[in-house]
Amino acid sequence: MSASVIAMMLGVSTLLGALGLVALLWGLRTGQFDDTSKFLDGARFDGEDELKDAVMMEEKRKKALQKRRKDKRVMPD
Amino acid sequence: MSKIKCDHCRLEFDEKVMIEDEIDNQKKYFCCKGCQGVYRLLKEEGLDSFYDKLGNNALEPAKPDSGGDLERFDLEGFMNRYVKKRDDGFLQISLIMEGIHCAACVWLNEKVLHKLPGVIEASINYTNNKARVVWDPEEVKLSKIIETIRSIGYNAYPYDPELQEERAVKQRRDYYSRILVAVFATMNIMWIAIAKYVGFFTGMRQDIKDILNFAEFVLATPTLFYSGWVYYRSAYYALKNRYVNMDLLVATGATMAYLYSIYAMITRSGEVYFDSVTMIVTFILVGKYLEVLSKKQAVDTLDSIMGTIPTEVTVVKDGTKSLISVENVKVGDVIELKPGEKVVIDGIVVSGSASFDESSLTGESDPVFKKEGDEILSGSIDLDGVVRYRATHDFGGSLLCNIVSLLEEAVTKKPKIEKLVNQISGQFSITILSIAAMTFLGWFFYTQEFEKALIVAISVIVIACPCALGLATPMATLVGLGVAAKRRILFKEAAFLETMAKCDTLVLDKTGTITKGRPSVVTYHRLGDAEDTEIALLVSMSNHPVSRGVAEFLRAKGAVPASKELSDFKEIQAKGIKATIAGRSYIAGSLGFLQEFGISVDIESENTVFAVAVDGKAVAVFELADEIKEGAVEAVRAIKEMGIEVVMLTGDNEKVAKRVAAALGISDYRSKMLPHQKSAFIENLHSRGKKVVMAGDGINDAVALSKSDIAVAMGSGADVAINVSDVVLLDDSPEALYEAFKISKRTFKAVKENLALSLIYNSLAVPVAVMGYVNPLVAAISMSLSSLLVVGNSIRIKLSLSSK
Repeated sequence: MSASVIAMMLGVSTLLGALGLVALLWGLRTGQFDDTSKFLDGARFDGEDELKDAVMMEEKRKKALQKRRKDKRVMPD
Repeated sequence: MSKIKCDHCRLEFDEKVMIEDEIDNQKKYFCCKGCQGVYRLLKEEGLDSFYDKLGNNALEPAKPDSGGDLERFDLEGFMNRYVKKRDDGFLQISLIMEGIHCAACVWLNEKVLHKLPGVIEASINYTNNKARVVWDPEEVKLSKIIETIRSIGYNAYPYDPELQEERAVKQRRDYYSRILVAVFATMNIMWIAIAKYVGFFTGMRQDIKDILNFAEFVLATPTLFYSGWVYYRSAYYALKNRYVNMDLLVATGATMAYLYSIYAMITRSGEVYFDSVTMIVTFILVGKYLEVLSKKQAVDTLDSIMGTIPTEVTVVKDGTKSLISVENVKVGDVIELKPGEKVVIDGIVVSGSASFDESSLTGESDPVFKKEGDEILSGSIDLDGVVRYRATHDFGGSLLCNIVSLLEEAVTKKPKIEKLVNQISGQFSITILSIAAMTFLGWFFYTQEFEKALIVAISVIVIACPCALGLATPMATLVGLGVAAKRRILFKEAAFLETMAKCDTLVLDKTGTITKGRPSVVTYHRLGDAEDTEIALLVSMSNHPVSRGVAEFLRAKGAVPASKELSDFKEIQAKGIKATIAGRSYIAGSLGFLQEFGISVDIESENTVFAVAVDGKAVAVFELADEIKEGAVEAVRAIKEMGIEVVMLTGDNEKVAKRVAAALGISDYRSKMLPHQKSAFIENLHSRGKKVVMAGDGINDAVALSKSDIAVAMGSGADVAINVSDVVLLDDSPEALYEAFKISKRTFKAVKENLALSLIYNSLAVPVAVMGYVNPLVAAISMSLSSLLVVGNSIRIKLSLSSK
């Protein structure tokens, strides 16, 4: 086996592994693993309703923010 | 009678006590109004899929919402303390949720809060039951949010996350990231290293070797400088404070090996040691992480105590009542207390009388009756009656506030006895580093070869790598922990075994720790014609600990409560009970209570007396005392035989304290101790150079427990006590306390033996390395041999403890 093939295999696999590691670290830093059961529960319970819920919450937040802007309580971006 | 399940909480109850209800033409059964209300509410809201998600889990029966203190959540004092204003103008609060049992509960609470207009964000952490809620103050009030949570059968308390939690979480996360990087690199370096080991025997082309070396270099670099950063930091601070620790040796060893490997890689001479670099860093880092991880979870419980402290009190000024934030109450203000309220400010009663539950201060469960002129302490709870009292301290100076701040401080600053391995490792590090330096100089002058001298010096450091030393303690403590766990003794951290073995004083709390904590009958005098079954019926009506003690005694005697008609039952707090049974008038209670009805009983006793009179004539007298737990006397004697000084502290009165202390053979005891006095007592022992083990069970012991070197809590004790403690005795027995001492002493002995073994190993291996005879193979064999010795010796703990 030529040296370049080995170098490439090592490089690619380490890079892929490092990407996974970075993703894991990002998840950790943003607090996604703070609740150990959240993922499993999500898999057990989350369905269409929960998706709708999440969208509803997003809209609620937007509306509330817009209302505040209208009232000029928050500086526009 | 058949048992059926409540349709809301899923607990089983007798059919006849169930509330029957028809919902959507289906018969449903509920154990209480609370459960029924919640079920109906969820059905109306279309959230009944909650019950499918619940699976086989059961809930606590829902408490009907009293709504009593809701307004406190909108008060200014409360808002200032717990509510955070965010940059986008929304408000945010951190809550501790009560009643979360399973993932379905989390789902339900989040769902209900999401549906509430004005709530912008609600997320609940199932693992620690903490929640974060963000809301728009224009649309919804906090009291409405709490009311919504209560309406579905849960409850929420606020807490201040900035206090401790954020810091603890940050540190844990930081360590975890470092470990992830280290483990990732180690795993990858290992398979590259295996390829190279094979190449060592079968031969490998130089260009392939270069590639593998470079890959190892790439992986080792982040491990050493990112994951290993903690050693550099620790070594730096140690040097700054003029002492040497194990981290310095690890840092020097790893850095030297790393630098040398780079040199070897570039010059293509000799072997590279990148794999050793990552492995040393990773293994020792994992050990450190375990320590960070097990830092006590006291933070959570502390938050829940803080959350229940009222933020406002009712102050009466010129005949008008007003709610004033606790911080603004001045000494001399008159405060009104209603039944069920918690006292937050110390004072003296000016009018009214009531019974107070002081269990969180003294540990004694009997309510204490207070009238005009008596002192009220903060932390107690008004059980009945309205009382007005004059503040003698402001909030900051009050007992409750003092206890909380003492606890807060104690959780973060616990005294630590320096570990043996740390003491030795300092010396060890200095010795090895100087030997390495001398080796380098010696070889350099002897051979005039810089490279050879450097390699030998590094091999000295690498072979003396703290592995054997590092393994000495964990192996022994691991076995010790296992033996302890089998005997239902829980050491929360391995290091506590060593600390406990070094302690020379044991401070015992009386109630609940060495006594059963509830009064039981010691003597029973029959004075007249009384039927035990009727007395049993009478006392079964009261929940007072004394009544329960008598009821238990009668049950043990075989007297079941008579199935007769009982009427006019009345319970006079802290005095006694009266009722009419089958037309006969019964009065029972303290001697003073009977005296009020003109009934005198001629008896003198130092125990609690419970007398019963029928139709104006005394018929029976029970003497009750808090009984000493079985095995307590033997355990105390055995502990004393180990050369440990035993002291007893109690919130109870002198007379009882003296009797219990005499029965146990304890000559040193203190009575009437309040929580802060107990902790001061421990500090006093510390100042005299004592190392203290404290055993307790109540909230009143928590501060003292956290001040002691080793805190032992009873498994049935209060949550706070268990959380601040280092050792938990799951079966509550005094023998277990003795066992804990025995196991810790035996384990510590093994630790010392192991340390000696590893030092012997080093004194043999290091000279060989100094002479330059060490190659990787020799190092590997000698290291595993020394590790095996250490492991073998540790297992002896198990054998020697089980044979006794």
